[in-house]
Amino acid sequence: MGKIKKALLSKQMVIAYWVLGLVVIWEILAVIIEHTKRTPENVLPHLHQIAQSIFSKDLVNMDQTALQIVLSNTGITLQRAGIGFLIGIAVGYLLALIMNMFSWAEKVVFPYLMIIQMIPILGMAPIVLAMTKDINKSRIVIAALLTFYPVATNTLAGFKSVMKEKHELMYSMAAKKSDVYKKLLIPASMPYFFTGLKISAPMAITASILVDTLQGGGGLGCMLSQSLKHAMTIYVFWQIVFLSAIIGIASYYLMSVIEKLISPYKKVGR
Amino acid sequence: MAAATSITKEYQKFTPMENETDTEIKIEDLWVKFPDKNGGEPVTALQNINMDIKQGEFVSLVGPSGCGKTTLLRTIADLQPPSTGNISVRGKTPREIRLQKKYGIVFQNPVLYEWRTVRRNVCMPMELMGLPKKYRTARVTEMLEMVGLYNFGKLYPHELSGGMQQRVGIARALAIKPEILLMDEPFSALDEFTKEKLHEDLQTIWSKTNKTILFVTHNIQEAVFLSDRVIVMSPHPGRISAIVDIDLPRPRTLATRDTTEFNALVSKVRNSFEGV
Repeated sequence: MGKIKKALLSKQMVIAYWVLGLVVIWEILAVIIEHTKRTPENVLPHLHQIAQSIFSKDLVNMDQTALQIVLSNTGITLQRAGIGFLIGIAVGYLLALIMNMFSWAEKVVFPYLMIIQMIPILGMAPIVLAMTKDINKSRIVIAALLTFYPVATNTLAGFKSVMKEKHELMYSMAAKKSDVYKKLLIPASMPYFFTGLKISAPMAITASILVDTLQGGGGLGCMLSQSLKHAMTIYVFWQIVFLSAIIGIASYYLMSVIEKLISPYKKVGR
Repeated sequence: MAAATSITKEYQKFTPMENETDTEIKIEDLWVKFPDKNGGEPVTALQNINMDIKQGEFVSLVGPSGCGKTTLLRTIADLQPPSTGNISVRGKTPREIRLQKKYGIVFQNPVLYEWRTVRRNVCMPMELMGLPKKYRTARVTEMLEMVGLYNFGKLYPHELSGGMQQRVGIARALAIKPEILLMDEPFSALDEFTKEKLHEDLQTIWSKTNKTILFVTHNIQEAVFLSDRVIVMSPHPGRISAIVDIDLPRPRTLATRDTTEFNALVSKVRNSFEGV
């Protein structure tokens, strides 16, 4: 009996329960909404309908199928999110270095970081758009804004996590300050830095999609809002929702893979 | 100002009156006081320390916690400034000796860089000194052979046992050919069997390299087994309460621990503590 219980509570089974539960709830809601039917299409289609729509050859606008619309708009969003992400990493890392080198900088800069981070992205997006007057630039700026804070704070925490003895060893070997960073602080903070990246990568993508919704001109978010407003089929909406979720998760795993590639040692539980 | 004082002392040292050319570390009337956290009277960690350590000598500082033995080692290592008094190492200040990279330090915790392999850990101090790569590689091999870890060079620290990690630390400290090896309870976290093995190994390394070793421990047997001299320290305030010469023949082995002479010296050290 213990074995059965163990098998039923294994990690894979828990995931299976979770997926099953989601499917059941989804389908119940889909049925309920189907019966209320006030709109031309069921806003919450059955899962098999969404799956079908992915492979459907029907054109939903002039010359594209639902899937073609989704994929052709993914590129533009991801590219801007990616550029913003890289800028955010650079700015965040630089801030972490400066805050670690000068304690006054930490005192001065940190409250501002907190404030920027506390402004809801929904409120910030229109302001950034108004300031840059360009949807592409806004996507980049917002993705960068969301990225730099987790990178800066986590990297700074990484610098500070270095044990006193490791510093003392460097001191006893009369190491130059640049060597202390190059050979101790930067490598030691890598796991923390990557924690920051894993938090911010999906956020940068989400933010970029959100900025799309503010204005026409393409991008996943733009299609998302058009689809929801019945300018085109609702299946585009759901395809984008699932695709965004997959991209978000994939971006997280991409960061893990890069981390494993550049730090081959296994992490020590300390 | 500290440098000026030390030059004066150095001058005095070479007057014909004294013959101390082989003195490595000279400590005169050293006091270390720590400010009290609650703003009260400063706490005296070390009171009136006077001692000489000869070149090539193995000296242990032994005592219970709070006796200031680690503080004394840290003061010599230039990790802790003295409040008053003077330390001269080969006629120079601890800072000058540190900047010349003449200290090798081994802590209780091995303090290895977990993102570097064993080889690259041993290599680190030589990288900091900017030594050529070819020399570094050869020296790392030599050091790993000496501590018996040649076959483990490509592993990462967490793949090694505690004893092996500490050996890496010793290899790293010795790689830059320091004049003085400062060891702060390096074996206290290891099991008894590993410890006894490392005691013999350290003895061998010491006799091969002819370094001056200052070894901090709270383990009396360890101190007696390893040292030429044991400096017994007592707490509150930290002070030297006795200096015991250990004249056991070398090389010392496991059998040495069973001799009456060894045990008599252990008792002598134990009875030298004050106010514990």
